Amino acid sequence: MKLIKFLPLIIIVVVCIFFFFSLNNDTTKLSSPLVGKEVPEFSVDRLLSNETMTNKDLISDRPIILNIWSSWCIPCRAEHDVLMVLSELYDVDIYGLNYKDNEVEAKKFIEGLGNPFKKIGVDTSGRSAIDLGVYGVPETFVIRNGIIMYKHIGPIHMNELDEKILPMIKGL
Amino acid sequence: MSLAINYIANSLLILCLVTSIIQSRFLFRIQNYNLLSLSQISAIQFLSILVSFVILIFLFITSDFNFDLVYFHSHSEKPLIYKLSGVWGNHEGSMLLWILILVLFNFLFSLSRSSSQKFKEITVAVQSLMIFGFVLFLLVLSNPFNINNENFNDGLGLNPILQDPLLAIHPPILYIGYVGFSLIFSLSITGLLTSEVDKKWATIAKPWVFAAWSFLTAGIALGSYWAYYELGWGGYWFWDPVENASLMPWLSATALIHCVVVLQRKNTMQSWTMVLAILTFSLSLAGTFLVRSGVLNSVHTFASDPGRGLFILIFLFIILSSSFLLFALKSEKIDKPFSHNISSRNTGIMVNNWLLISILIVVFLGTMYPLATDLLYNQSLTVGPQYYAMSITPIIILFLFFMILSPQLSWGESKLLKILNEMRYILVSCLTITFLTTLYYDLFNITEILIILLSLILIMSSLSSGLNFKSTKVIVKSNFGQSMAHAGFGIFMLAVVSNAVYSQEKIYDAKVGSKLQLDEYIFDFKNIEQEEKVNFNSIKAYLSLSKSGKDLGEFTPEIRFYSDPPTITSETSIIHQFFSDVYVVMNVPQNQESISLRLHIKPFMNILWLGVVMIILGGIITVILNRNNYRENEIN
Repeated sequence: MKLIKFLPLIIIVVVCIFFFFSLNNDTTKLSSPLVGKEVPEFSVDRLLSNETMTNKDLISDRPIILNIWSSWCIPCRAEHDVLMVLSELYDVDIYGLNYKDNEVEAKKFIEGLGNPFKKIGVDTSGRSAIDLGVYGVPETFVIRNGIIMYKHIGPIHMNELDEKILPMIKGL
Repeated sequence: MSLAINYIANSLLILCLVTSIIQSRFLFRIQNYNLLSLSQISAIQFLSILVSFVILIFLFITSDFNFDLVYFHSHSEKPLIYKLSGVWGNHEGSMLLWILILVLFNFLFSLSRSSSQKFKEITVAVQSLMIFGFVLFLLVLSNPFNINNENFNDGLGLNPILQDPLLAIHPPILYIGYVGFSLIFSLSITGLLTSEVDKKWATIAKPWVFAAWSFLTAGIALGSYWAYYELGWGGYWFWDPVENASLMPWLSATALIHCVVVLQRKNTMQSWTMVLAILTFSLSLAGTFLVRSGVLNSVHTFASDPGRGLFILIFLFIILSSSFLLFALKSEKIDKPFSHNISSRNTGIMVNNWLLISILIVVFLGTMYPLATDLLYNQSLTVGPQYYAMSITPIIILFLFFMILSPQLSWGESKLLKILNEMRYILVSCLTITFLTTLYYDLFNITEILIILLSLILIMSSLSSGLNFKSTKVIVKSNFGQSMAHAGFGIFMLAVVSNAVYSQEKIYDAKVGSKLQLDEYIFDFKNIEQEEKVNFNSIKAYLSLSKSGKDLGEFTPEIRFYSDPPTITSETSIIHQFFSDVYVVMNVPQNQESISLRLHIKPFMNILWLGVVMIILGGIITVILNRNNYRENEIN
């Protein structure tokens, strides 16, 4: 009977120990199940060329960036400046994947705002984007040796560029 | 100038530290200090925090970006109300608000005249010891008055999803609830230390418990209402870790208020009361702080720093383990032997306490399970609403049954047959109503029918017990608060079940000019516009709603793209009707030809909120009626 009075104390101690270990466990690192895996196979037509772009293009021992965008996507317009800055100031290859877009509109977008991309793939059906686990546009991947290192959902802002993406490009 | 403000604010915080040490002297039996009275020192303690809080508000209003906190969480173009809510829309500011409420309760209690001087001294000492810990944490690890040496032209803004008038008042209200239980905690520690947990203790604690409970309920309700119309996920409760973190102290607090009533009436259930008082405050602390420390991850998390988390965890551990140890050692002394009859109201309340604790355990396991799997197997998963619905529904049915029965039982002994006889009109009418509804709406799910029947009986029996219908006038009885809250809960459950059964949802890929249909409602998609505003761009759709040819109003769902920080929010558009809410949410466009629209019909939402409001009012009425009774007793 007396022992039961200590029950709350024991529970509290156990829960606190549990929290202590959870505290040091960074849950954000598991943000995408694709991080740490190979880029899935795909092959798509290119926007400004008659050739195709495949997942083999993304295999390089230097880190490269893959950006999923659309001309109808307003945040992509906002993000485009950041990509332009990145391509002009840093020695990094940026690949684009044009998602569910109209070819004329997409070309107009690139002509008007500039082209930061080395190659642009066209994914009219959105099929390749599904394999890449894309929720919506824009999304950005950092890839090295064909392995996805980092995934960012939504437009990249200068903050994320400074804090996350640049250290990866410089450090790797 | 900034430097001067920094010095003043920090000195004020240190002043509060010093006064807290002086106030906690009673715990260590040091009595030889009589320069200022107890309430005078509490007043200084309160004013020092109040003034530093006002300084912080001033900094936000004047957009002084020399202060880190203002720079990171405000913006000069922000409307005044959001500059104000920016004060507590971040970790450091909300900590200061938390402490402000902590010292406010301490000050108010030091003024109250319901308890003996010695009892009051120890309670204030316990409370001050906690204040000391929190102010130390604020000063060292999350100082809101840190300054930077750069000249920033503008701030980084506040999360746009938090730019909402409801969310400006939601944290303060919720905090008053959470922190209110700190005083109940201090009262319990005092009761344990002095071995005085009796009718007198319950009389002192009762108004504070009910007040804190009412604020906690209102705080949770406001948060839920915000989620309902702002997030646009088609519901009012998502079993999100942060929501659960506020529900758990509520469940424990609800059991606590009933124990306090029993303690006041029958001088029994001492151990229950003590455990629940400590538990409620533990859960409140965990609810506010673990959410912020990166242990629980959810949409709500807006500051994550393991260093702070560790301090809070150690602090929590010291407070909680020492208080539960105290309980384990002292509980033999406080428990009064009391033999009560099996068919008395005590039994009913005891059963419902266990049921509330069962729900608490269900919620706790659901919240902790993903953490455990993440820790042990490195696997991320979430526990869905299904788990909660399946495990809580049977408990709720039993809970409703005892909620009907217990108030009918007397404190002594009752005959069940006699009660059944007294309730015969209510039972017959409720059975008839349920039977007719079942036939009319083709309801054949036994759980739903059962909950509807029990809720109806609960509403009727509660209302009839709280009011005395005489031929010409209605007399409000002293248990009116209780019957109001119980009836409110019945109405709430009725709405929850009907809402779950009759909610409809449909997703359309719509083009301008098309007519969409859901149930009997016709949605006429008229137009879509792009707008540029000061700090965001938006896409707005215009739809008009009609039902059988009658025009019911216009929807303007909207998607906003904020630039600073870059965030996309979806603004839900709701048309409220008496029996159902109809609403439209626009998804982020995924292709250029059409827009994806989600249409919802949510029946009985108004009634659900009415139930919640009645529950809150019930708590407030109890505080007021209790105060009047207390005065009358004093006069007699």
